[in-house]
This record gives sequence, C-alpha cells and structure tokens, in this order.
Amino acid sequence: MLAKASIKEMRIIMQEQLITYQTEISGNVILFCRFLRTKGYVLGTIEETDALKAISFMPINQEKYFKEALKAAVTKTQYQFIKFDEFYQEFWDQLSKAVKAKTKDIPIKNERKGKTQKRDAQFEALKNWLKLNPLDDEKAFSSYSYMEILTKKNFSDLSREEMQFMMRLLQKLARKIIHQKSRLRKTTKRKTKLDLKRTIRANMRRGSTIHKIIFSERKNKKLKLVLLCDVSRSMDLYSRFFVHLIYAFQNTYDKIETFVFSTALHRVSEILDNYELEEAFNTISERVPHWSGGTTIGSCLSDFTKDYGYRLLDKKTIVFVLSDGWDTGNPAIMKEAMSTIYKKTRKVIWLNPLAGSSNFSPEAIGMKTALPYIDVLASAHNLESLKCALQQAQSRRNLLNG
Amino acid sequence: MKNMELQLIKKMLQDHGYIGEDAIAMSIFLSMKLEKPLLVEGPAGVGKTEIGKVMAKALNSELIRLQCYEGLDSTHALYEWNYQYQLLYLKMQEGKKGDLKKLEETIFSDQFLLKRPILQAITQQNKSVLLIDEIDRSDEEFESFLLEVLSDWQVTIPEVGTIRATNIPQVILTGNRTRELSEALRRRCLYLWIDYPDFEKELAIVKTKVPEVDSNLGKEICSFMKELRLLRLEKTPGVSETIDWARALASMHLTHLNQQIVEDTLGVVLKDWQDMRQIKDSLSELLEKTGVVSRII
Repeated sequence: MLAKASIKEMRIIMQEQLITYQTEISGNVILFCRFLRTKGYVLGTIEETDALKAISFMPINQEKYFKEALKAAVTKTQYQFIKFDEFYQEFWDQLSKAVKAKTKDIPIKNERKGKTQKRDAQFEALKNWLKLNPLDDEKAFSSYSYMEILTKKNFSDLSREEMQFMMRLLQKLARKIIHQKSRLRKTTKRKTKLDLKRTIRANMRRGSTIHKIIFSERKNKKLKLVLLCDVSRSMDLYSRFFVHLIYAFQNTYDKIETFVFSTALHRVSEILDNYELEEAFNTISERVPHWSGGTTIGSCLSDFTKDYGYRLLDKKTIVFVLSDGWDTGNPAIMKEAMSTIYKKTRKVIWLNPLAGSSNFSPEAIGMKTALPYIDVLASAHNLESLKCALQQAQSRRNLLNG
Repeated sequence: MKNMELQLIKKMLQDHGYIGEDAIAMSIFLSMKLEKPLLVEGPAGVGKTEIGKVMAKALNSELIRLQCYEGLDSTHALYEWNYQYQLLYLKMQEGKKGDLKKLEETIFSDQFLLKRPILQAITQQNKSVLLIDEIDRSDEEFESFLLEVLSDWQVTIPEVGTIRATNIPQVILTGNRTRELSEALRRRCLYLWIDYPDFEKELAIVKTKVPEVDSNLGKEICSFMKELRLLRLEKTPGVSETIDWARALASMHLTHLNQQIVEDTLGVVLKDWQDMRQIKDSLSELLEKTGVVSRII
C-alpha cells in the first residue's frame, strides 16, 4: 500500500513538472499532441516528430504559420481536419490560463507551502481536463481513434453526426461480406494471374509455340441477403438504428430483400431503393400499420416462408433476423417457420440487441424456440459486435454444431 | 528567411493559375520538406488532381499519373514481365546452345521488365511527381500494398530483388471519400481537405481561368453556384463546373444571367436529371436569391 501511494505521489509530481516546465515550444507541442490524443486523434511518435520538424521550417514569429504547419502534420481525416481549429483554440486557452495562474504565484515565493496546495488543485484540474494520466494514455493511444470510440458506443445513444459516420463504416463492412470470391477461376482480360492450364490448352493446336497467354481470376461468389427486421414496441430503441442498417445494406448491394414486421410482414425493399433515408424511414413507418405495436414473430416468419420462401430462400442466401425474440404468438408456428428457413438457406444470423448486456440469457419464448435453428446469435448493440456477426456470415455453416 | 520558400510555393501556385487557401500551400511545402506523401481529399471538382499537375509544372519534373480503379493490382501499378517478349526470345534462342542460367538471367532482366507508374516514379533520374488519383476507388488490398512503397520507397521484385528509389518522388494521393481509407495509409501521409472555395476565391479562379468573362457575369455565376451548393443535390457541382459554365457563357458574349439562359445551359453545371428537374422548378427563386433581377420583356 505504502509503495503504491508513493508511486502515485511521484507520478503526480512528475506530471506537475511536465506541465510547469513547458517553457520550450517543443514541450508545448508535445503537450498539444497529447491533448489531441484524448480527442481521438491517432498520434504516435512519428506524428509528433513530424509536427516538430514541420514547425522548425516555419518563421517563429507568426502564429498563423505555426498553427497551419501543425494542422498539416497531425490531421489525418476530414473530421480531424475540420475540428482542428477548435481544438487548437481550446488547448491554448486552457494553457494560457495555467500559465497565468503560475505567474501570479511567483512573487509570493516565501509562502510557497500554502500556495502549493492551491496550485496543486489548479493543476489537478488542468490535468484532469487534459486527462494526462500517462499510463492509461500510453496504453490507449495505439488503438485510439474516432472510429474506435464509435465502435464501442451503444447504438441507442448515437447522435445524428455519428450515425452518418457509422453508415459509412457499415457500407464498407457490407461491401466486404457481399463481395466474396469463389475458389473457381474464370478467364479475364485483366492481367492478374497467368493461367498455365488454360494457356496450354488454348495453344495446343499450334504445337509447342505459345502465341496467346491467358489470365484468370477468381470468380465472384454471388450471395443473396434477406433481412427480416422487427419493428415492434419492444424494439423501439433499436429499430431506428436497424432501419439505418438495412438502408446501408440495401444501398450497397442489389441482391437483397428487406422485410419489416411487427404483427404482419411487409416488404420494404422498394421503398428503401427509391427514397432518401429520412423519407424512406417515414414512408415505412406510415405504411406499416403496427409500427411499434405488439409482436407475433412466429406468424410473420411463417408468412414469409409461405409467400416468399420459394422464391427467395436457397443455398446462396443468408438470412438476417433483427429482433429481440419477444413473441406473443404460438411457439409451434415459430418453430416450424424457423426450421424451414434454416433448412433452405446458407446461414441464419439472428441479431439480438439485448444480447449485448451481460446478464442476457435467451429467456424470451420466441428466442428459445428459435435457438436451435440459428447459426449465429449475436448482439448488435454496437458496431464491434455487429462486425463480429457479419464476419461470421462469410464462412459456411458449421455442420458439426448444427 | 524561413517562410521564403513557403511564399515561393504560394507564388508558384498562383503563377500557374492555382488559387487556393493558405493551407494548401502549407501542406505542399511540408510534404516536400518532410518527404512525405500528401493525401488530398475533398468533394469532386475542387481541384485535387490539379495540385499534382501544377506541382509537376512548377518543379519542372515529369508527372507520372496512376489512375486507380476497382481491381487495380500490382501488375498495373508496379511492374509486369513482358511475357510475350520473353517467350519469343526463348524461341529465338532455341537453336543456339547457351548457358541455361545465363538465359534465365537475361529473360528476367530490365529489358523484359515493363515499368508501371510506381516503379517508373522511383527509378526516375530526376525527382518526379507521382499522382495517385482516386485512391479510394482501388481495393483495400492495393492500399496495403502501397504502404511498402510509400514508407520505405522500395519495391520488391522476386526475380530481381529489391529496388530502392534513386530519387524519392513527390507523391500526391487524391480521393473523394467513396470509401474510408485505412488508418495505416493515412498515418503515412500528410492530410489536406479541400472544400468548395468561398465566393471571392471562386471569382478569382474564374477570372484567372476564363479571362474573357465579363466581371459582372463572373460575379453572378459565382453567387449562383454558391446558392446552388447550399441545396441538397445528388451531385453538387464543383469548381470545374463553374469554369466550364463561365467559359460557355463567355463564348456567347453575355454580360448578365437571365432565367432563359440559365435554363438552357444548366446541363453544363448539373449532371443528374433529378437535380435538373429540382433546379428548374425552383429556378426563379434561386435567381432571386443570387440577386439576378429577372427582366420581363
């Protein structure tokens, strides 16, 4: 205990020195970099050296150049680029406050002991504000970025701006799963890889002379997606996000069908295709009569298998069900529907936003009945979990477990 | 003394008809000083590619351009063996008796190597400008492949070995965010975001690029474009559209905008039929906002 306390004290003293002795400009730049790190900038030592090198090329007397040089050196994304000025201002404001506090203390050197406490408090405040806890800081910075922050954030508390950013990430993800390559190869004009087998075959008639060279590449595997999204009241918190999600999917890929359901099933692919996001959302919630109503997942799913199952479900299809599994209908219907879907498709992935909480167990009756017919049950409460679930979609169904 | 070079770059940009914010000159200056690639992002048509062109002109060096597209791979970006040539050469050597090892060395020599833009840029005698255009269109695999080149300035060819850069080229990457670029690539570059210019800047650009335009017309065009960009369009027109439009209107020797003319020449500015329809419906309102008095004859 004692040792721990003294280490902590030492750290505080060291930190204090770190801040008080920043009379050199380079020190301030480093401090600024650390401040930016807390704001989600990815800054390693390379960027710090870059920043220092950059300002060494600048005239010392003009702040404008100083600021722009720093901006050019440390920003890496549009978000960072635009926000830079604001953060810059914030940092120097805070720093100048600290400097002022310090200069005030200098004349009363004799009463230093009394004042140190006050100063300590001030620096403590600044430190807290700067979040200059070196251990955590050092640990975090290698993986610290705006995106990282977002991936761990719960979907239910996202702002509009963050939502847009999220959409970009989602589209990227969606594209990744959808554009899979098959192991089969096809000839191509692109000079990707020389296909010896086909080259020899094509040139056989000419004897041993090879005139024509044939290249091949991997065939695209065309997977189809079906999204079934629960929009009942129990899902209210998440359904808005899920609409965003299916919108992102629908717009990246054309082999996709989307349905929403609460007490009845509705096909919404066309609405999502033809309208802007906001409009699409409004139109869907208008047209679906029981938006945020009760749920009968079982009968909806069985409607789906009856009406669309024949056409939409095959071994190239991945089915996503986005629901919390609160069913008020008969479990037997649900069971039948789920087993049909399971048998006919490549994979069934159930995204349950509640599965993210630590004390989750598939208690809901609907969830319990569906469980044997699901390949992957994943929480979809934040981007990271969603990413995991989507990565699962790429592989084939594991028959040993099923 | 120190900001001499910076001023020089600013002047150089201006001399070549590139008008932009100070941040642009600063980024170019630093990327030259630190020998780091410059990643330029921004909406379409704000002059991202132009930076590379102007730089090549100003540095008096060759501009090597690599246009990225989906499916671009190292054989198109880096190097490729000239297979046909190699085969023909072997055929020619068939009758003769020669050392097999020597023959192998010959067919994998410089003579049979097709240099693609990146290899060309790093083996150049003089410092060159390498413009990697629309990097976000390429696949992620290509992006990670670029990392080796951009940080170590070397290229590994299995048959030959590692080729180091004789001169580190000035690299400019452009993109307009059709896809988020990887963190690793960003960290190797300096970043610059170019947005649509403000009214004065745009007017200055129009005046430099289209000197024959009437000054009053130029003002009207720029303020019209400014209002246009505030609307939610499918494809927001860039500076290049402004210049095209100014050129088109100047060639008709006009001095004022009016509704008829705008309606007729809208195709120069807007490239989407939905936008066209939307703007045509609200044209008179838009013109009123820009301060064009519609004269009813």
